[in-house]
Order: sequence, then structure tokens, then C-alpha cells
Amino acid sequence: MTGMTRRELITGAAAATAGAVAVLPRPARAQTTQKRELIVAQGGDIAFFDPHMSTSSNDIRVSFNVYDNLTSRHPDGKLYPGLATEWKLTAPTTWTFKLRPGVKFHNGDPFSSSDVKSSIERTYDPAAKTRVSTVFSTVDRIEAPDPGTVVFHTKKPDPLLPARLAFYGGQIVPEKYLKSLGPDTFNQKPVGTGPIRFVSWTKDDKAVLEANPDYWGGKIDVDRLIVRAIPETAPRVAALLKGEVDAITQLAPDHGDRVNANPTTRMIGALYAGLYVLAVNSKVKPLDNPLVKQALSLGIDRDIIVKELWRGRGIVPNSMIAKGDNHFDASLPPLKYDAREARDRLRKAGYKGEEIVIETTVGYTANDKSMSEAIQAMWRDIGVNAKVEQIEYSVRAQKLRDKSFKGLWWSDPTSTLSDPDGMFWRLLGPGGPQDYWRHARFDELGDAARFSVDEKFRAQAYKEMTQIFLEHFPWVPVIQPYEDYGIQKYVEWTPNPNQQFEIRRFNFRFRRT
Amino acid sequence: MREALLFGGRRLARAGVALWLVSTVVFVVMRLSGDPVPLLLPPDAPRSEIFRVRAELGLDRPLPVQYATFLGNVARGDFGRSIHFRTPALAVVLDYLPATVQLGLTAFLLAVAVAVPIGVVSAVHRNSPLDHAAMAVALVGQSAPTFFLGILFILLVSLKAGLLPTGGRGDWHYLILPALTLGIFAMASIARLTRSAVLEVLRTDYVRTARAKGLSETLVVAKHTLKNAAVPIVTITGLQFGVLLGGAVVTETVFAWPGMGRLAIQSIYNRDYPVVQCVVFISAALFVVINFAVDMLYGVLDPRIRAR
Repeated sequence: MTGMTRRELITGAAAATAGAVAVLPRPARAQTTQKRELIVAQGGDIAFFDPHMSTSSNDIRVSFNVYDNLTSRHPDGKLYPGLATEWKLTAPTTWTFKLRPGVKFHNGDPFSSSDVKSSIERTYDPAAKTRVSTVFSTVDRIEAPDPGTVVFHTKKPDPLLPARLAFYGGQIVPEKYLKSLGPDTFNQKPVGTGPIRFVSWTKDDKAVLEANPDYWGGKIDVDRLIVRAIPETAPRVAALLKGEVDAITQLAPDHGDRVNANPTTRMIGALYAGLYVLAVNSKVKPLDNPLVKQALSLGIDRDIIVKELWRGRGIVPNSMIAKGDNHFDASLPPLKYDAREARDRLRKAGYKGEEIVIETTVGYTANDKSMSEAIQAMWRDIGVNAKVEQIEYSVRAQKLRDKSFKGLWWSDPTSTLSDPDGMFWRLLGPGGPQDYWRHARFDELGDAARFSVDEKFRAQAYKEMTQIFLEHFPWVPVIQPYEDYGIQKYVEWTPNPNQQFEIRRFNFRFRRT
Repeated sequence: MREALLFGGRRLARAGVALWLVSTVVFVVMRLSGDPVPLLLPPDAPRSEIFRVRAELGLDRPLPVQYATFLGNVARGDFGRSIHFRTPALAVVLDYLPATVQLGLTAFLLAVAVAVPIGVVSAVHRNSPLDHAAMAVALVGQSAPTFFLGILFILLVSLKAGLLPTGGRGDWHYLILPALTLGIFAMASIARLTRSAVLEVLRTDYVRTARAKGLSETLVVAKHTLKNAAVPIVTITGLQFGVLLGGAVVTETVFAWPGMGRLAIQSIYNRDYPVVQCVVFISAALFVVINFAVDMLYGVLDPRIRAR
């Protein structure tokens, strides 16, 4: 994901300080509340309320509550009705959506099929200059035959269109209001159909929102939502422990114990919808040799990494498909650690001690630098001449674009559609941003699965692709971590694996006396 | 009068050159350090999209052209549109300026109110336990890293004692901890410099004369010493004020204070050239204005400088 704010300027030092000063036990306070206001602190400020202008996690936490999508992915990972009540594949390249009647935007405008048509067309309209212009690249044209029906014609069969509509880019904006005010004013005074509506926004301080009393899914359990930006982890945790905020995002694993030890707060997490992988430039020597990459994978003791660097807040992946996604194969064992076997394969590969470089950022993904150093040491144990080089975020972005990485680098592919197509195939497929390795059969299967609406066929294709993947390792998957939050015990909330911070009736309420 | 004008004019010209140099350096450094476009677009954006955005931001033009446009626009007070916020950069920065001025000014007043008396008392009671204690505290204040102090304050004052909020901007309660954290460094250096400036004056002949006349020690210090020690004190104080107003990156980050320092760091991460250029320009301008004011103050404090 772009612009993800996992940028903690001085986290290491802050964490050290926080650890040094132990918190005194305090008498347990009531675990219920009469509060009518929910205060959430996240690691960075909102940049855009216009949902089509950003894919950053700090923005989507709010925009998925101000706006609705046609379909809605609940924390259980399944698709539910949103602004559409039902949808059907009416021809191989035609999806028809029935819209929910009687829905109104926050400004009173009625919601109808022309809003859907103009919203989705806006995402790929060059003149609108959105940052989600590639999400609906499979769509050929959209029709709105009557106010309650939308018909999507896709260029080829697209089994995942309902899933695409559930994530970023799919938020529905009001056609009339946006047209009459223009995008800049719309971003300052956003209007959607969602459970909360906009009140005010002080940049880098707080956004104030209030419950939409007429929400079609029922009014949420609070009257106001305040979103604050607290960039540093230690002060964010302190604000939670002191009771100034009800929930915090991006809780680092090493702060989890403090939050759980405090009588009024607890840690809650969802398994990240995606993986943390070392992506591989398979074009450079010796990484063009599958045996070397197999050895690198075998040489990583992932259990130690999960236990020591993540305090157990993660699981060891078994392939390039994240747990929780369609076609995840639970029968496959987690990726194995076997140092002897790794040395053996290096020998068979004829590895001569060529340098293998990991280019790491500091804090782009959690623990990236410390994991790099741990893996470097593990690889040296199996006789790999591993080197860690530190790069800055913008250098990383530049290298992504130029495809100029020296060896391996951290990537945190998000599964935007809860399906392998929206994850590894989006990135590793031909022409994708991480296209460094090609395999005829792999490509054939990936392409066929993308355009097939037969889930049985797709399952078989991904099974075969997994076997090819585990031989060639275009990625070396390392961990599927938890996305953790800290909350007051009176908050009853189920987080969504996709970093959305949804507060709707189905997943959020305060425990009242 | 003519001398004063000439003095002021020369200072103004020098200030202009300083601002031009600062903006040029920022312009060059920002462009050397990376391209903002890959950060703006999703990683799977096609190349055509990248070229479109580059053209839209004017980044496809040769550097000298970009530089000339930049200078021309700055002269008219136009810093361009923020790449990240998509609004005029100056408006973005001016949004953040009040919070920074509020924090900087409070930290400054706090520093001066505490540091000058401490410096004077330390000097007058030189080598007393009081002096040693004050200077030891000052040393700690000058050497403790800001993020350490800030987080220590949050944990001890906010969390353990439950006295003040942990961060954010609100009424005066929210101002105390960040202002203290920010002010401590300035406080320490002003106190140390005040002490040595006062000590130096206390050793001069006219102070001995004043004492020989039988003046009380209070009068000697208040009337004959302080005014003569003022020039170095005003200099360091002015410099510190400029530093405090320049946006306190670490303090603002630790206390989630919505000021210019945080804007600057975020904008550097985002490669938001126009905003970074505007923040640096405004910080430099504030610094120059304060220095100019300090120079003018010299004249008021010391007639010998005025005559020169």
C-alpha cells in the first residue's frame, strides 16, 4: 500500500524509555461507560476525506465510515450487502447490482444508480486525477438503467468485481454535491451515506465527526467520533493508558504487555490480510538459481522471529497466499527451517559465496530492520555471504519503480480482495510492480484464474501455482503478523484484517452499565 | 539618523541574500534526494500514469527552468501547490504557523523568565552550592535529548501523577509539558551565558568603583552590571528564540502538537517540495527578522554601537 504511515521517527529510543519507566498499578476502574463519544488515536493525520484521493491506512480508517461501498467486507472476511442488496453475474462479462432503496446522503440528497456510475467512472477518469485509477481497470462501461439498478460490463470475465467494489476506490460519493462544489471543497466538507458524518477537521490535530442518525444500518452506539493523530508510539500508548482516548491503532508488539497489564485496557488484533515477504530480484546472480532461493527460505528460523521480534503476534506463512484468503491451503505445513538442508542446496547450486544484499528501510514495515539483521545472521550460519543495506522510503519507492533492487527487499503485500489475484498475482504477475521472474506455466495459470468465474478451476490453478512458487521463491515469505490495536475494556469492537477501522452496528458498541 | 538608516539598509540587504541562499539550497537538496511521484501513486501504477503526474507537477521540465519558475513565484509570495495536500503550499504552512508560534513563544518566555534570574544569582554567588547546583541542572538540561525528556514528562507527569494531558493541542494545560520540554535547552544555554556575562562585568573597574562608592550590592548588580551584560544575553536569547520558532520537530512529534516542525518532517517524507520550501523559507524569514530586531536592540542598549 502506498503512503502507509508506519513511520516512527524515534520509535526505538521511545520504546526503550517507555520500558524503563514502569507504570504503577492503579485501582481497577469500571469496565463499562456512559460515554457518548469515541476517541481514536492513530499514527498519522488524515490527508484526504475524498476517498478517491488516497489509499493510506490513516485515511481509509475514516473514509470507510463516512462512505459506503456497494458491497461490504466484514471482519469475518466475507462479503455482505452494502449499498447494494444483491448482485448477480447475468452474463460472463456482466454483473448486475440491485441497490438499497431509500438511502440518503448526509446532505439529504437521495442515493441512486447515477451516483454509483459517476463514482466508479470518476476513479479512472484521467481528468479527476484520482489515486485509485487502477482499481477498476477491468471495467469496460457502466449502465444505470433505473435508479435502483447498476450494470457493470467488464472487458473480460471478472470474478472479483464484487470484491473490488468493497475496498478502496469503491466508496460511493454524491454525484450532484461533488459536481456543484468541486473536488477541493468536497474534500473539505465531505458528504457520504456512511454511519458517521463530517463536522470539522484541524490538520494534524483532530477530526470531529458525528453519528448519522438516519443510517440505513442503524445509528451507531456513540454520538461523536474524534480521530486524533499521535505519531509516536509511546505517547499514543500513554494516552490510552491514561484514558484520554478509547482506542489506538498501530500498537507495536513490544507495547502489548503494558496495555494488557493495565487493568482498564487490552490489546486486540486481527491477522493482517497480507504477508510480510522478502521480495527477490530473481534476475541478479545468484538469485536467478531456484536452489539458492530454496536455501534462503530454509535458512530462516521463522519461529524465532515470531517469538522474539513479534512477541508471538504473528504466524509463519506456508506459501504466497495469506491465511484468511480464498484458496488458502490449510493442509500445507508452515515454511520449514532446516539449516542442514539449506547448506546442502547451496552446495548443489554451486554457490561460491557471492554477496546477497537485503535492502531494508527502517520502519516502513514494522520490525523491517531488526528482521533483516536477524535473517542476515541466520543466513551467515548456513554459509551465505549476506549483507544488509539501509535505504530511505523515497529511495525504496524509486527502486520499486525502476526495478533496481540489488537483491532482496521488504514488501508487505496487502490482499485487497481477500483473494490471491488481488495479492501475489497483482504484484508478481507479468508487468506487475514486482515482475522479476517469469515461468510459462505459472503465468498461464495466473492469467486463466484471473478471468475465470469457475471457483473450482481457480482453486486447482492456485494449488499448482503454489507448487511452482515453492520451488522458485519469487518472494521469500517471512511472517503474517497481527495488526494490533489498544482499546479500553468497555469498547467492544472487532477489527477488520484490511486495516479499515469500521465502526458499524455489526462490529462496535460500548459496554454500558 | 543617516547612519541608522544605512545600518538598517545594509542589514536588510544581507537578510535578503540569506533568504535567497536558503531557498536555493532547499530547492537543490530536495530535488537531489528523490522523486515524489512514486510515493504518490500505488506501486502497480503504469508508467504512463507516472509520466502524467510528473508532467502535471511540472517535474518533467529541466531543473534550471524549474528553478527560475520557483524564484519568480517566491518573489510574488507563491510557493506553488502542495503535492500532497493539493492546496497552495503557503496556505498549508500558515495553517500550522499559529501552533508553532504559540509553543515557541511560551517556551521562550518560560526559558527567559527562569534562566536570566538563575544566571544572575549564580554569578553573584559564584562557587556557592547554589551556583554549583544551578549549573549542574543547566548542564543536564543542555545535554538531555528532547525526545527522552518529553517521554519522561509524559510518563511521570501525565501518566503517573495524572496531572496534565499527554499530548494534543487545547487550553493552557496542553501547553505546559511541550513548552517545558522545548524550553529546557534554551533555558540551560541562556542561564549559562547570563552567568558568564554577569561575571565578566562584575570584574570590571567601574563595578569596583561603584562598590568603592559604597553602593549596595543590589544596586551594583541591578543598575551597573545588568545593563552592561545585556548585549551577549540579548544575542543568545534572540538566537534561541529563532531556534524555538523554527519548528520544533521532535517536541511537536512527541506531543502530537500540530505545528510547522511536524509538517516539515511529514512533507520531507512525502517529498512535498513546495511545502518543504515554504516551511524553510518562513523559518529562515522568522530567524532573519529576529536577528534584525536583535541588531536594532544593540543600538538601544549600547550607544557605542549606534555611533559606529
